[in-house]
Amino acid sequence: MKFTSRPAAVLLGLSVAAVALTGCSETSTASGGSAAEAGSCDPADVTLVGQVRNESNPYEASWLDGGDAFAESVGLEQQRLTYDGESTKQQEQIRQVLAGDTSCLVLNVLPNGDADTAPIVNGADEAGAYLVTQWNKPADLSPLDHDRWIAHLTYNGEESGKQIGDALAEAIGGEGGIIALQGVLDTAAAKDRFAGLEASLAENTGMELLDEQTANFSRQEALTVTKTLLTKHGDAVKGIWTANDDMALGALEALEQAGRDDVAVVGIDAVPDALTAIGDGRMTATVSSDGPWQGGIGLAMGYCVATGELSMDDVADEDRAFYAEQFLITDDNVDEFVNPEIDLADFECDNVFDRVAGPLS
Amino acid sequence: MTSPAEDVVSARPRPRRGVSLRNAGPGLALAAAVVLFSLLSPQFRTTANLANVLDAAAVLAVVTCGVTFVLLMGSIDLSATGVIAASAIAVALLVENNRNDSDLGYVGILLAVLLGAGLGGLSGLLLVALKVPSFMTTLGVSAIGLGVATLMFNGVQPNISDAALEAWATDRFLGLTLLTWIAAACVLAGWSIQRWTRLGRYAYAIGGAEEVLALSGVRVAPYKVAVFTLAGAFYGLGGVMVTSQLGAGLVQAGSGYTFSSITAAVVGGTLLTGGRGGVLHSAVGVLLIVVLTNGLVQVGVSPYWQGGVQGLIVVVAVAAAALPLRHRNQVVK
Repeated sequence: MKFTSRPAAVLLGLSVAAVALTGCSETSTASGGSAAEAGSCDPADVTLVGQVRNESNPYEASWLDGGDAFAESVGLEQQRLTYDGESTKQQEQIRQVLAGDTSCLVLNVLPNGDADTAPIVNGADEAGAYLVTQWNKPADLSPLDHDRWIAHLTYNGEESGKQIGDALAEAIGGEGGIIALQGVLDTAAAKDRFAGLEASLAENTGMELLDEQTANFSRQEALTVTKTLLTKHGDAVKGIWTANDDMALGALEALEQAGRDDVAVVGIDAVPDALTAIGDGRMTATVSSDGPWQGGIGLAMGYCVATGELSMDDVADEDRAFYAEQFLITDDNVDEFVNPEIDLADFECDNVFDRVAGPLS
Repeated sequence: MTSPAEDVVSARPRPRRGVSLRNAGPGLALAAAVVLFSLLSPQFRTTANLANVLDAAAVLAVVTCGVTFVLLMGSIDLSATGVIAASAIAVALLVENNRNDSDLGYVGILLAVLLGAGLGGLSGLLLVALKVPSFMTTLGVSAIGLGVATLMFNGVQPNISDAALEAWATDRFLGLTLLTWIAAACVLAGWSIQRWTRLGRYAYAIGGAEEVLALSGVRVAPYKVAVFTLAGAFYGLGGVMVTSQLGAGLVQAGSGYTFSSITAAVVGGTLLTGGRGGVLHSAVGVLLIVVLTNGLVQVGVSPYWQGGVQGLIVVVAVAAAALPLRHRNQVVK
């Protein structure tokens, strides 16, 4: 009894502590007021910060490059921050940045997950820094309730999932079996994109979903899973739908190793290798969110508001949280995307909301 | 008064029986899994799929070979992810590729393996020189490997066009890819090292009773460093093999391998406490894991269930394998 009760007591104590801590952190989300008057910054005093997970994937690296391009166009430099996909590291970096001079600070942030957005938003609001967030945001958190959180933008995964689903149906001539490789199953991106495929399947009735598996957005897992599914379904497989390009590239390797060249493959994200594959005719389609634009646009919005060139009063409420325009890439238009040119006109203060495709639902 | 002596005598044969049961456990589990999946799925028992299982096991087998030696010593190695990343990017940049003009072929492959060995050696040196537990040093070295890989990656994916390295994943001999034969050769080499060399024997001895070994005049430290270096070389080769499979050097090449290799080793009967198990045990563990992954897809288990089902089977398999050992401990007490 003596031996069993001690660990039990420790466990109980830890759980109580955990519950108490959770309670504390929830009560601290009420935010403070704003600092300096908006729009009073001298352009030269503006500090630009771009933060993504890491530079070891081409998409996020191109995001920061887009930020650099915008910064250069206004004679400034972007501070490039990466947090290796670790939420605690991201919060720590944000705290450090906000501890400095924040009155003319502009942040363009990719929150690691939905739960990471609230502390970033509250921190920026208290410090009076201008903030644009992308991709991840809990549904109940709105930029409308915050002074300095200019906008949140993301992409409609259901739409992109359906776009490539339709492209796949067209590539296999509307008839035949396909397999689907899903992303990390508990992420919104994976769910939305797969919902898009289901919508596409409902319209393209000749296309049959033979199997769905997850390859966790990983090229390597996609390789193994695709090989397994190819042995399982053999020649019935006419197309492969994947929730991102990394998995599409893994699937392409598997097809090559299996000696199959009659299978159409589609993905999402428009990573450079996928664009090359589309150019070579090995892959059918992908969808681009335009990483360099994402890297520049957040900084541009913040810069325009900070310098007063754009007044928050002129920004429509439905533009504060929106789906941005995305582009289906096939062999018809792949050349335009292989060497993405950053159009600085997109970042002019009158144009920063030009790519709003619809309000976030 | 005579009873204690009798107890000792009667207790002696029992551990032997326990040992043989424990050794057979993972093998039996593997056979059971193969038979079960074969009955449930006609696609599973095709030769194409069985070849596919062996091909899929190749990289994990090589990585697990490395981690087995470290586990035999009673240390732990969490550096596989980082070391694989570094060597994967390094080899992609050293052989013919789209990023630079280098075309070193097999020299490039050797250099990448040496980079892995170097990082492994660093783990070992930090362990013996600074007396930092292997858990921490290898975790640190993993981060160093990922850092090195990220620096070399530099925002642009290196795609390989070296014909020899690409052939590893595509060319077949007796129905299996060259990668699978390389993995088989590695397991054989690992088993030989474990069986016939002083390094292998001492790895067991360090795991069994390091103090006794040290007291009998053996300088343990160089062997520890050597074991970590050997493990690093296996991870390095694993990184090269991943690059060959994917046709590109990825920083994420090694993600997941740290824990799946340790899991495979433990499932196969290599104990985390050291001194027991070995390369062949671990190879059985690797096959069991890969058969599970493949079989669950073949029989059509929903992807939402697979992770949980696989974890459950692994836990049951380990528990079953450890059952005779528990029995033996009770007798000894």
